[in-house]
Amino acid sequence: MSTAAFKYGVSLYSYSEDIGTVLTLEDAVESVADLDATGIEILGEAHVPGYPNPPAAWIDHWFALLERYRLEPTNYGSWVDTRLRLARPMTAIEAAADLARDIRLAARLGFRMVRPKFGVVSFDLVPDPIWREAVERVLDLAHDSNVIICPEIHAPTPIRHPVVDAYVEFIQRTGTKNFGLLIDTGIFQDRPLPHMPGETPEMRRDFLNGIHVEPADFLAVAPYVVFIQAKFHSITDALADEHIPWERIVPMLKRAGYSGYLSSEYEGERAPWKSLEQVRRQHALMRKLEREYDARSRPPAG
Amino acid sequence: MGNRGTRQMAGEGAAMLERHLVQSVGFRNTGPAGARDGFEFRLRLPYYRGIPASLCDGVAVSVDGESFGFEGNRIELDGRELSLGALREAVDVRWRIDQAAIVRVPRPGGLAVGVHAITVDVRLRQSYFPPQFQPSIVTETRAATIVL
Repeated sequence: MSTAAFKYGVSLYSYSEDIGTVLTLEDAVESVADLDATGIEILGEAHVPGYPNPPAAWIDHWFALLERYRLEPTNYGSWVDTRLRLARPMTAIEAAADLARDIRLAARLGFRMVRPKFGVVSFDLVPDPIWREAVERVLDLAHDSNVIICPEIHAPTPIRHPVVDAYVEFIQRTGTKNFGLLIDTGIFQDRPLPHMPGETPEMRRDFLNGIHVEPADFLAVAPYVVFIQAKFHSITDALADEHIPWERIVPMLKRAGYSGYLSSEYEGERAPWKSLEQVRRQHALMRKLEREYDARSRPPAG
Repeated sequence: MGNRGTRQMAGEGAAMLERHLVQSVGFRNTGPAGARDGFEFRLRLPYYRGIPASLCDGVAVSVDGESFGFEGNRIELDGRELSLGALREAVDVRWRIDQAAIVRVPRPGGLAVGVHAITVDVRLRQSYFPPQFQPSIVTETRAATIVL
């Protein structure tokens, strides 16, 4: 039995701080193509000049870049800034307008997925309850735009959590095909991140030590997962990830039959150009683990 | 005033910014020679995405140990100079990551010609962090030179 193959991509988030100081957007796109990756992920309000109204000439330039480097747009990151105003909270209608703005722009740039980051109302990052009505108001637009809206499951929120249950319940209740889950692999982190310069033990937020989600928990939500951000922080010269247990994650994703994207999200030290090298290491590591899994599961000859 | 414009104002596309938050280019005294009334500098957004300007809750500045509170400094974005109150309501103005803001600080006499240690505390409200951690404050110090 052959297993489904992953698709490989990179989020330009990986090159934060570098893009605009030591890398152009074009440098970054070329670096993604050089990995033999097929997918590119962006953040709307970071990588689109003149957001939310880019010049028409830039949109032409964007499609020319995709064609030259043979890349497909994957996921587009957006925000619903519920704290936009100090004076009052955001309404569901305003949040829906923000979602619509980004769905339209994402579709115009060729993206099939939009990850909205909703503002939160609690210490454990429960999203503002307006998310439900806001999303319901734009489901038709998402359908007509051929876009899937996919909030991310991100540390410190694990898979087994009321926030995730609520998203799944929303999919089941509405029956929509235009809403899904995005998994950020930071939830599987099982070793502590190094302390930031100047960070004292009192300042440490617990989840930076890793929330240790069991990779097998993925199986319970696999039917709803449309995208994976392959979050990581540091990979050594020996291709060992110091925080994310890929050797356990990759086989589990294969067993789940996941055939979507692994889209690199480097979130480590921001020394100039370090991101370029770290992303290359992660692609080498993930592809090696997938090849090894495939070799083990191939039926014996004859 | 000695400000003869920037590339972003001329609409010539985004320039590469310096890695430091406070840019060396653009650090200058304001007001006529002999009657300086303050200083200004260009500031890169310390964040990985652009934001509606209202999510910036001001910028505190300190130069060689002398503090200028965030309440009294003004910020220019897209050619609009905003007091703290106006900044907090500027939901339709955006601070892009490829666009330095101009921070203006009142100080009679301006700053002396020469190299200064300048520190910024950039205050940002992030909707997706727990409310008790807001605003986030990003601090950076660098050496920068007043030419005139």
